[in-house]
Amino acid sequence: MNEQPVIQTRSLTKYFGAKPVVHDLNLEVPRGSVFAFLGRNGSGKTTTIRMLLGLLEPTRGEGSILGYDIRALPPEARARIGYLTEEHQLYGWMSVKECGGFQSQFYPRWNEKIFRGVIGHFSLKPTARVKDLSRGERAGLCLGLTLAPEPELLILDDPAMGLDPVARRSLVESMIYLTRRSDRTIFFSSHQLADVERVADYIAVLDHSVLRACCPVEAFRSSVKEVRLRFSGAPPALPKIPGLLQAFRAERELRVTCVHYSRATEQVLQALAPLQMEMAPISLEDAFISYLGERGEKSFILSETEVQP
Amino acid sequence: MKALIQKELRENLKLAVLGLIVFTVLVMLSWRDYTGMMKDVLLGLRSLEGYRLQPVESGLILVGTAWLCVIFGAVLGWMQIFNERHRDLWAFLVHRPVSRTQIFFGKVIAGLGIYIVAAGLPLVCFIAWAGIPGHVAAPFQWAMTLQIAWLFLAGIAFYFAGMLTGLRQARWYASRALGLGLAFMILLVNVVPNWRSWQILVVMLIGIAILATAVWGGFHSDGHYKGQPMLGKLGLTASITVGAGLVAFFVAFLAFALLDNFLPNLFNSDNQRWSAHMMTKDGTIYKEIQGGHRPPEFVDLDGKPFIDVKTGRMIDLEEFNRRACNKTTSIPIDCGKQSLKRRNPPTFFTFYQATPDTIWCYWNRYGRLVGYDIATRRFIGSVGPNGFANDLSGGGDRFNTPDQDRYPSVPSRTLRTATAIYRADLQNRAIRTLFTTEKDETILGATDIFLNDNDWDYTVVVTKRFVRLLTPDGKVVWKTPYEPAHPDYNRIQISFLEAPGQSALWFAPSHSANRKADWKLPTRVTWLARDQGVVKSTDLPGLNLPRSKFPHGIAMKISSLLPPAFWAAVYLDLDLNVDEIWPAYWWILPLISLAVAALVWVPAGWWLGRRYSLTLQAQLGWAVFHLLCGIPGLLAFLSVQEWPARESCPNCKKLRVVDREHCEHCGADFAPPEKNGTEIFEPLAAVK
Repeated sequence: MNEQPVIQTRSLTKYFGAKPVVHDLNLEVPRGSVFAFLGRNGSGKTTTIRMLLGLLEPTRGEGSILGYDIRALPPEARARIGYLTEEHQLYGWMSVKECGGFQSQFYPRWNEKIFRGVIGHFSLKPTARVKDLSRGERAGLCLGLTLAPEPELLILDDPAMGLDPVARRSLVESMIYLTRRSDRTIFFSSHQLADVERVADYIAVLDHSVLRACCPVEAFRSSVKEVRLRFSGAPPALPKIPGLLQAFRAERELRVTCVHYSRATEQVLQALAPLQMEMAPISLEDAFISYLGERGEKSFILSETEVQP
Repeated sequence: MKALIQKELRENLKLAVLGLIVFTVLVMLSWRDYTGMMKDVLLGLRSLEGYRLQPVESGLILVGTAWLCVIFGAVLGWMQIFNERHRDLWAFLVHRPVSRTQIFFGKVIAGLGIYIVAAGLPLVCFIAWAGIPGHVAAPFQWAMTLQIAWLFLAGIAFYFAGMLTGLRQARWYASRALGLGLAFMILLVNVVPNWRSWQILVVMLIGIAILATAVWGGFHSDGHYKGQPMLGKLGLTASITVGAGLVAFFVAFLAFALLDNFLPNLFNSDNQRWSAHMMTKDGTIYKEIQGGHRPPEFVDLDGKPFIDVKTGRMIDLEEFNRRACNKTTSIPIDCGKQSLKRRNPPTFFTFYQATPDTIWCYWNRYGRLVGYDIATRRFIGSVGPNGFANDLSGGGDRFNTPDQDRYPSVPSRTLRTATAIYRADLQNRAIRTLFTTEKDETILGATDIFLNDNDWDYTVVVTKRFVRLLTPDGKVVWKTPYEPAHPDYNRIQISFLEAPGQSALWFAPSHSANRKADWKLPTRVTWLARDQGVVKSTDLPGLNLPRSKFPHGIAMKISSLLPPAFWAAVYLDLDLNVDEIWPAYWWILPLISLAVAALVWVPAGWWLGRRYSLTLQAQLGWAVFHLLCGIPGLLAFLSVQEWPARESCPNCKKLRVVDREHCEHCGADFAPPEKNGTEIFEPLAAVK
């Protein structure tokens, strides 16, 4: 198998006006992986995807996709990349069947079975007009159109955005069922961390246009730890903790979330002389929220007198 | 590409049907306009209107076609982009395994197909109807349809301009529509007075090619300037420059007009007054001095004011007009040949007369009067110097082209060859010779004189040696030598005075001869009387002409702001006699324009280029462009370039543009984002 990354960027940067929306992005997406691209709204995920597909000119830096320069993607490269856009836009006047017919004429490897399978999964009538479809149905149709050419690389920009849980589940099922092939790579952005947890091998996290994490899902989850400390009175002031993401003070409890938890971190926390100190289990969603939430200390103590014994 | 064409055709089907309906309505209106007129003429309800004789040249079809082609073309082009205005739908379109060039061609082929069917089909049907004998009682030549063809072609320019407007991503929102400026100029090419068909066609095709190239480039960069192929950038810049030039010209014109209105002395001074000779009904000559925002003054040839005895003051314009001789007619000399050679739109035929059952026109192609039956609208025969013939060319005998308007209010009653004047009796389809020249004499011009409405009183005949006044039956009233002689004196006028049988002949110098003589050639006036011949003669001194002053008028001042490339284009039109238009000063305007560009626009462009951190090569290229294109070039530069953000370089502390890999001042790299200690990076392995 070719070990060359499917997507590779070097110092990829995009400014809108004077504002950097993607800052010095260095990313490698391994072949055959399911790669989740995460970040809050406006962190630069869609902009990155659009740059990768040559739909947006980078301000500086470079990148390649399937070995082709992203600034000059030839048609043969596009034939190998399936792209599902964020808002599932299609020609409203076309019927489901016409959409398939239109798309199929551009792709010699068009697989009608896959297309029918996906639209069947979403219970779409071939004669239904796109403008009459619900958001979820349109997403299903878009997925069918993206999968049927059997692309080598699938880029999905927040495919579940705006979908209800049932439609979202259908979409994820389709993705898993129809795209799990050893040589196929899926690169998708999402806010649905449960989906990410189910399907992704790797994640990359953009925080305010800067890439802060790029690792296997498990590595991310294991890097983020939550420690609960109980005190007899109000928790003491927190010293500087390396890798601190959030500290949450409530009553006699202090919850600290940090990355790269180490012996040194433990010693700093022990120095606070807690009555009890324990490591709390954390889900990917919690880890992600802590990671991308506001940094620093939060307190829910109303006044010092209330917490006195 | 086939799928793309089919999609575009389907997507714009409603617009195509709407266009087809609108153009069909226009054609039907033109058809009804013509047939209605002919029916009324046949029933005697109204007289024939010469300007509506040939429907393919009528104002209704030409104005209607111009408006509809412009609107339909622009809307169609714009809609083809607007349909995919959503960012994701555009991405869906362009992210398919075909090149952007193929997507461009797919859209354009479908768009032009729609345009040709919706706009072209009704027009072609209309032309075919007009061309089939028995439908239109007037001469028909395919060349007559060129006006419609040019307008149709201009619609294609607007199609691309509409597309460019929809496609362009611009920093200044309004500058998106600047491409329409070039399309507008292409439309104006139709009415350049002296251009021939091939010149119009070449310029239109070049303009359309520039717009198409700009659109093609836009498809490669999703409407941005950056990221386009060089050819696309050139096309876009050229299109935007013309549009910016047009906007700048109108803004400057409005500004000057406002200034001129509120501060007249700023632009006008005494030296901008000019004068003309006027004759009163009793044959006295006065000089009228006008201009300079002052009421006209009237003085006699000695310079004494013309005093109105009733008021005791200088006579005013109204009173002078009451006393002026208003029966003055110019006799065109050699105009027939010139007008045929250089006229846009060309004159193919002239309405001559209508008898109760026949329409007679002078057809330039055959040099004969051709008749069409009003009832059947079919050709019935032609009349030449040798009489009537059943065919168009007769025995090859031809008249000279009449020196009159295309659709004269009072058609001339005589026709001429180089040596004879004829009177046509079209009721009887016969021709009668009124006058034949003496040996070695050639007729230079002849004009019929109608002193009272449509009553034909005289015909003036000018040969190289004499000027004669003839009665309608060919009798010579007087004959006087052509002095000063042709060709230095080629502007002849005749004034009929109040006293019966008295008239005055004016012999004025030609512009070129007068200019060579520094505008000092006199004008000869000869007074003549019936049966007496020449009564007296005088030479009037050269006049203070407006063209001899520089600068004058708002337009001349705006002209100095025009880019040097404009002047180059003007002088490249080899048929344009610039020296005749701006005598003695023709070289000053380009020089001022070049100086303004070199001293203002090039330095301004250079400074902006530094702000954009352009490479030296790009700076030099733009400098040449600004030198040639002046302020429109600078505006185009600002509207196509995207203003790059700048940030402080951590190494040299100077502001540097963010779209370079290294600092343009010190060459330092950009620093990576600062780490905050929460980074999680692990090497990723390919999934097996």
